[in-house]
Formats: sequence, structure tokens, C-alpha cells
Amino acid sequence: MDSHLVARGVKRASPGRFVMWIIPWTLILAIGLYATYLCLSRGLNQTNMDNRFAFGLWIFLDLSVIALGAGAFFTGFLVYILKRDELRAVINSAVVLGFICYSGAVLVLMVDVGQPLRAWFTFWHPNVHSMLTEVTFCITCYLTVLAIEYAPVVLKNRKLKEIPGFLVFEFELHKVMPILAGVGTFLSFFHQGSLGGLYGVLQGRPFAFREGIAIWPSTFFLFIISAAAAGPSFILLSTWMVSRLSRKKLVSENVYRLLAKISGALLTVYVFLKSIDTLTWLNRTAPGFGLSGMSFFLWAPFNVWILFVEIIVFGLIPAMLMLVGSGKLRLGWLVLSSSLVCCGILLNRFVMTIQTLALPTLAFDKFMLYTPSWQEVATFLFVVAYGTIIYSLSFRYLRLFPQETDLKQNPRRS
Amino acid sequence: MLPWVYGFTWETGNVLFLTIFYVVSGVILAACGIAARRALRDLKSTRIDEIKWHVDFEDIPSFAKTCRHVFTGELSNRVCHNGFDCRTCKLHADLTEVSRPTAPLDPPHSRSTHKIGTSVFGLRMPADRLYHRGHTWVRRESDGKLTVGLDDFGERMIGRASTPEFPSVGTKLVTNGTGWFFRRGESRIRILSPVEGKVVAVGGRGNGFYLRVDTGNDCDLRHLLKGVEIQPWIMTELERLEIALSTEEAGVSLADGGELVEDMPANYPGADWDSLLGEVFLEP
Amino acid sequence: MANNDSRNFPVVAEPEQKFSKARYGMIIDLDRCTGCGACLVACAIENNVPPDPPTSTERTGITPIRVYRADNGKSFPDNESVFFPVSCQQCDHHAPCVSVCPQKAVEVDPTTGIVGQIPVRCLGCRYCMAACPYHARYFNWWDPVWPKGMEEALNPDVSPRMRGVVEKCNFCFHRLQAARTKAAAEGKREIDPADYVPACVEACPAKAMTFGDLLDEDSEVSRLSKDRISFRLLENLGTGPKVYYRSEREWVRTLGEEVVATKGNVHG
Repeated sequence: MDSHLVARGVKRASPGRFVMWIIPWTLILAIGLYATYLCLSRGLNQTNMDNRFAFGLWIFLDLSVIALGAGAFFTGFLVYILKRDELRAVINSAVVLGFICYSGAVLVLMVDVGQPLRAWFTFWHPNVHSMLTEVTFCITCYLTVLAIEYAPVVLKNRKLKEIPGFLVFEFELHKVMPILAGVGTFLSFFHQGSLGGLYGVLQGRPFAFREGIAIWPSTFFLFIISAAAAGPSFILLSTWMVSRLSRKKLVSENVYRLLAKISGALLTVYVFLKSIDTLTWLNRTAPGFGLSGMSFFLWAPFNVWILFVEIIVFGLIPAMLMLVGSGKLRLGWLVLSSSLVCCGILLNRFVMTIQTLALPTLAFDKFMLYTPSWQEVATFLFVVAYGTIIYSLSFRYLRLFPQETDLKQNPRRS
Repeated sequence: MLPWVYGFTWETGNVLFLTIFYVVSGVILAACGIAARRALRDLKSTRIDEIKWHVDFEDIPSFAKTCRHVFTGELSNRVCHNGFDCRTCKLHADLTEVSRPTAPLDPPHSRSTHKIGTSVFGLRMPADRLYHRGHTWVRRESDGKLTVGLDDFGERMIGRASTPEFPSVGTKLVTNGTGWFFRRGESRIRILSPVEGKVVAVGGRGNGFYLRVDTGNDCDLRHLLKGVEIQPWIMTELERLEIALSTEEAGVSLADGGELVEDMPANYPGADWDSLLGEVFLEP
Repeated sequence: MANNDSRNFPVVAEPEQKFSKARYGMIIDLDRCTGCGACLVACAIENNVPPDPPTSTERTGITPIRVYRADNGKSFPDNESVFFPVSCQQCDHHAPCVSVCPQKAVEVDPTTGIVGQIPVRCLGCRYCMAACPYHARYFNWWDPVWPKGMEEALNPDVSPRMRGVVEKCNFCFHRLQAARTKAAAEGKREIDPADYVPACVEACPAKAMTFGDLLDEDSEVSRLSKDRISFRLLENLGTGPKVYYRSEREWVRTLGEEVVATKGNVHG
């Protein structure tokens, strides 16, 4: 039925099966859309956020998807700037994932702010001292870059490339891609860092506050490295999942191993720096405020276990598995490690957002928690469903994995 | 954001930040602008066929892009990165200079080449002509014009049920651009042009040729396969086809030790012929 | 972390300063505060804070000044409690909310030291709320709605805030403007300190709150702020608040100054 839209030489599920896969996601999308409508029309009283928990599930989601989407900039950097041609096998998929993550984050941010129509104020009256200004500028620019990087992948669709205009535009866009990849890398470095800086500069929140270099707190650098480490892991994990779901070999095994190696190396650096940062904070920054850093971990459920899990279970263990075992271990272990890395980045973003806000600062104040409302959860799932649908459509109609036909034809090479 | 906007300051941080922002936006815009301008220029030019081949070539599986010097045994493993255009390939120039001091194209009456050249795995591949990777052949006629046809492999793959769609006489062809089409039901299969030149006549299946091309005085045909390269090339092609067929859900495979029957589509109606023909005629 | 003494208020050069530079501050005597909540009510009335809708909770309502209750954690008969009225602390040094706002919707008035929120420029991102250690900022979760007839009683000097923006105490800045207008009309360059008193200070029945210019050596706030028993909330964070608290009781002073210490008996 739609076979003339599917790239030649690859097999995709029958239209019926594809529709059956899309329908549940569309339902979630519709529910999420309704929740979004409620939040926009009736206001943020539809959420369970409050004056104390001014940031909630959505900000956690934004930080998380942007960290996971870092695979796009980092793979682009490796392919176009450092010329690691092996990673061309996943670059298209990485760009699509990056585009989904960033556009999803922007969508949720637009619901999250109280007056979305005033978003342009940040551009018109920028306060350059705010990390959020840097984030807003960089994410806007980078989303534009991602959209431009996504365009050639779309234009290469079998039907679209029959139109000469699209064909030559794709060809010419491809030539300027290294420039865009360079700009994207620059922008990504800054906004990933600024997202970390967002919390690191909070002098009024001793749990989040970090000392640093010049205007940048240490979280600025930690967020860059952790995002760069998690990006390749997320690509590994997503490629493996798509490969399992579609029952196809999409990239050769050495690509998985290379991704694991890059992720493992960066994660090792991150775990090392994160440990130094944590120790500095416990022994210098916190006592500087006249308190013991460990006192923050007295409040259940966020006890010391959270620190242990973040640094050891989701940090050191996958880092060692991937660094040492990227060449030897079975693929399953690498997939497991990369899912640990992804969990680790989610936990880190959770700690920075939720734990920071849950902890009291005034001695006569309480420790507080909040449970998101169904509208918040539905909007969260809206982004997940949106991402799944965009990715599924891209996987079906665009050539996300250039090696796929190759691997089908020449199984010996894998 | 701008100096005349209320609240703007000439503070270093502010100026630095906004300058970086304007530079980044400028670079993004300029990159897109350049791409768009070049695209418009390309659209007006005659380079579209060339670009299409360039774009397509990237998507051709690397097994299909095996270098011709692998067929001759000069290299053990190499994938072509030059769009099958040996005329501009440095490696090709180097290799032909070193290892082929004698003319590689043996006269057609020579017994040994006759054997290799005429019947390859049951396919008629006469050695009096040059072959293009997209399964067309080229023969220089006495009047200096070139005759272009579909080789036996291509002929069997395309089947009797497809009808050719020719370019009009006078059309300029580009090497690896579109030669002509075959229509098979709803799908349209592009046949790559093996040479560049002007179409002077069109033929058909019954005529023994498809196109007659005037290439002018200096025609360079070094990029086409010939002589001893043909047999290993056909072997690779058969292997490719075998793999492509075996991954079909129909689960078919070539009969009789891997030989092609006369009309493949008619004999294997269950296979995905659109995909197979795209594979064979190098249109991913 | 340096413990910045914000008594050295930065001198901000103003080209044509109509009124002399001031640093307005407030002293709250915790030993006098009865926790009656009159300041809350007076503030809400003065600043056109709409009544909270029925679905609101204590965590979503708008209370530019909020009274916390805490006790010394001992059981009867040694149990003692204290009320902390907490409004915006008008940080003078590195006000956490000012630097984080992406669009300059929070500004410190250089002549008065009052931290002002510009609701019409606020995006509602709530980053300032996450940054404020005193939880003194409030978000308008609902559209402001007044019961029929009550809009007649709105204060014409204060514009109501729309849904989706952040607001907070601004020391009733409109009262300062009124005092200045009055002074200007009388041809004076200084306002009469008696003309500028925020609504909460005015309303306190226990006279627990004192308001004035901290730079003015003769003012009562200046004298009380330097008192032995005066302290500021979370002094260690170095934000230099201009709201001072006083208590003769040692445990109250410790409770206010320290940054998250023990899990004492606290009641929001």
C-alpha cells in the first residue's frame, strides 16, 4: 500500500501491523493533547506543582530528554569534525532522536511556563547573567540546526527525492553539514552546561550550589560530560531496541562496540570528576555555609543510597563494563551497561531537580514531596508518544540506518 | 537584544553574549542560504543527473560497489568510492599503468577469451563489447557512434512484461545518469546510461539494441568493464541476487546451480521485483 | 563561602537622584509576634491579592507574607513556640532571584534597595522561585477572581497580577511612591518616614514590626538591626537580607540563622 514510500531494498512491517503499532501511541498522544489544552486554557493549577515545588516532572523531563538527545551533537561532532566514519551508520538515527528530544523539551517548556506567549521576552530583554537565558538562546538555535540536519534525511525519502528540487537541496545541504555540525557542537556544549549551571548557581539552595571556574559552577562542566557520555549510550540502546522490535540487523556489531567504548571512556572521566565534585562539595562548599553536607541525606526517601546508586551503580559499574569490555563482552552486557548509563543520567537530573526542591532551606520549614497530577503525567507521556510516532514514521519511510541493506546483502561482513 | 531596545546595556557580558548569538545565527542562516542558492543553481544547470547518481551511489550497498580491480584479483578487497567512474580514479590509473602493459581487450576471435566472454554462467556476454555495472553494454560501431543495449543478465531480470520508455532523439545523456526506463506495472525502473553523448536513435528489444549514442570525437570508455573482469563481476552479481532472493519472504532461490532463467519475473512472481530490480539496476 | 556582610551596601551611582539613597528594611520582634495573621490579611487587601479558589491549598495560595510556627522540640512544660512571619527578605547582596531571571523581570531598585518584580514582563518560568531560599515568591496558579462587589474595594494604587506570573512582597512600593509624590508636592527632597510604612507593619496589633531606612543612623530600624539579639534568616548564604528578626531566646536565633539543620518540630 505504502511500499512506494519505503526505501528500496529494506523490508518494513505490513501497513496493517504498522497501524496497529501506531494506534495506541496516537491514543496517548490524544490524551496528552487534551491535558496540554487543559493546562494552557485553565492555567497551571491543573498541575500539582506549588509555590514550593515550582519545578516538577516537566523540568525533570526537559533536563532528561535534552541529556539523552546529546547523542545527536556528539555523534555529529565525531562524524563530521573528527571524521569517525564508522558512526555514519547511526548519524541519521541520532539526528532524528536529537530532533525529537529537543522539540519535545521545547513543547513541554511552552506548557510549563505561566505565560507562553511571552517567550520572546527572553530574546528581547535578555538577562545575560541568567543560565536560563543561555539555555533559551542555545536551545532555540540548536533546534533550528537539528531541523536543518533532519531535512536531508526527510528529503531523501524515496518519493521526495524524485522531485529534482528536493534532491539537489538535500545534496547541497549535505555539503554544508560539517559547518552545521560544528555550530551544533558549540551550542550543545553551552546549553548542556548551562542546564547544569541552572542549579549550580543557586546560592540559595546549598544542596545544588557548586563552586566553579569563572562564571561557571562545576555542574556546568559535569552536565556537558555526562550528556556526552549518555548520548552514545542512548543511541546504542535505542538502535538495539529498534533492531529487536523490527527484527532486523541495522548496524554492524563494531558500531555498537565503538559507541560503548566512547560512552565508557567519557563516563569514566565523568565518574572521576563527579566524585571529586561531590567530595569538594561535602568537605568545602557545604561547611562554608555552616552545615554538614551529609545532613542533606537525612531526609527519607532521599538518603545516602541515592548518592551510592548514582555514582557507583549507574556510574562506575557501567563505565568499567563498557571501557574494559567494549571489545570482549557479549552485546547484551553492553546494552545493559548503556541502559544503566541512561538510568544514571535520569537519576542525576532527578536529584538536581526534585531533591533540591524537596529539601528545606529554612530550619523551621518542612521537607516536602509532590506527586504529579494526571495532567502532568499525560503531558509527559505526550512527549514520549510524540517521539515514538515521529521515530516510527522516520524508521519506516526514511533511511535511518544506511548499513541495513548492506548487512542484509552481505552477512559475512558483520 | 538591540541597542535601541529598552533595558539594553553596553556591559561587556551583554555585548559578548549577543555578539556570539548573532554570529551563530548568521552562520546557520548563511549555511542554509548557501545550500539553497547552490540548489537553485544546480536546478538550472544540467547537473541534476550527476547529482542524482552521486546521492544514489551513497545508498548502494557496499557489496555492489566492489572495485573492478578486485574482480581481476589485483586487489583483495576494495569498495569503490568514485561512483564507478574509473576515468577520474587515481588508483585505477596507477594500477592499469603497472599491471597491464599489454592491451587488456583481446581480439574477439581469440579462443580463450571467446570462452570466457561469450557464455558466462549460461548468460550470453559477448566479448566484443564493454559492460557497465548497471547491466548495459556499449559497442563502438564502424561509424564511430556507440550502440547501447541491455546485457543478458539485465534482459532476464527485467523480463518480457516490461516495456521500455526511451528518451527522445537528441537528448543528452550523462554517464551514470538516466539512460532510459522500463515500465513494469506500476513501477518504473531506471537504466543507467553507460556513456555520455547525444541520442541519435532508439531501438528496442527486437532491434538488438536500445540506444544509439553520438559521443563526439573523444570518447573515453575506460570506466566500462571488459574481458576477464566480466566473469567475476557476473559471479558477484549472481551472488548478490541469490542473497536478495533468499531474504525474500517467498524463500525462493536460483535453480540449476545459480543460473538465471529466461524471464525471471515470470518465473518468480512471488518475489519483490521492485526491490530486486532496484538492486540490480543500481537504484536504491 | 564568604559570609558577606551586606551592611556595606553597594553605592549605586544615579545620575540625577531625586531622592537620597536609602536601604529600606524591616525588623520583626519574634518575642512579640502572636501569629495572629493580621499582617497577611492587611497585605492581601492592600496589594489586591485575590481570594484563593476553593481548590487551592496552603501550598498554592498567594501569601506575600507567610507565618511559620516552630517550637523548641521540648515537651510540656518546657515547650515553647515561635512564629516566623516570612515575606520577601529583600536581599541586598547577590539577590538569588535577580540574577536568575532570564528576562530582567526582577530588579533591585538602586535607590531604595527594594527587590521589585515586574509582573507584566514575567514569563512564569518560576526559576526565581526555585532560587529563593526563603520560599517567599508566589506563583499565580489561577486567574485572579474577586467575589461580586469586592472588586469595588480594590486598591487603585496596585495593579492586580494576571495568571501565570510570579509575585512577591515589595515593601508596598506604591506607598513609597505616594509618599514621594506628597513630598514633591510640598517641595521637599526627603520623604517623611512616617508617610512610608508597609501595610503589614501598620496592621500588626502587637507592634512586632518596625520599618525604616537602614542607612539612616537615627532610625529605629538601624538601631535595632545592630542589636545583639537581632539576626537575619540564613545569614550564611550571604544574600544579605534587609529583614531582621529579634528574639531574646537563644534557640529562636539559632533556628532562624542556620541552614537546614535538625529535623525539629516544625509546623508550616
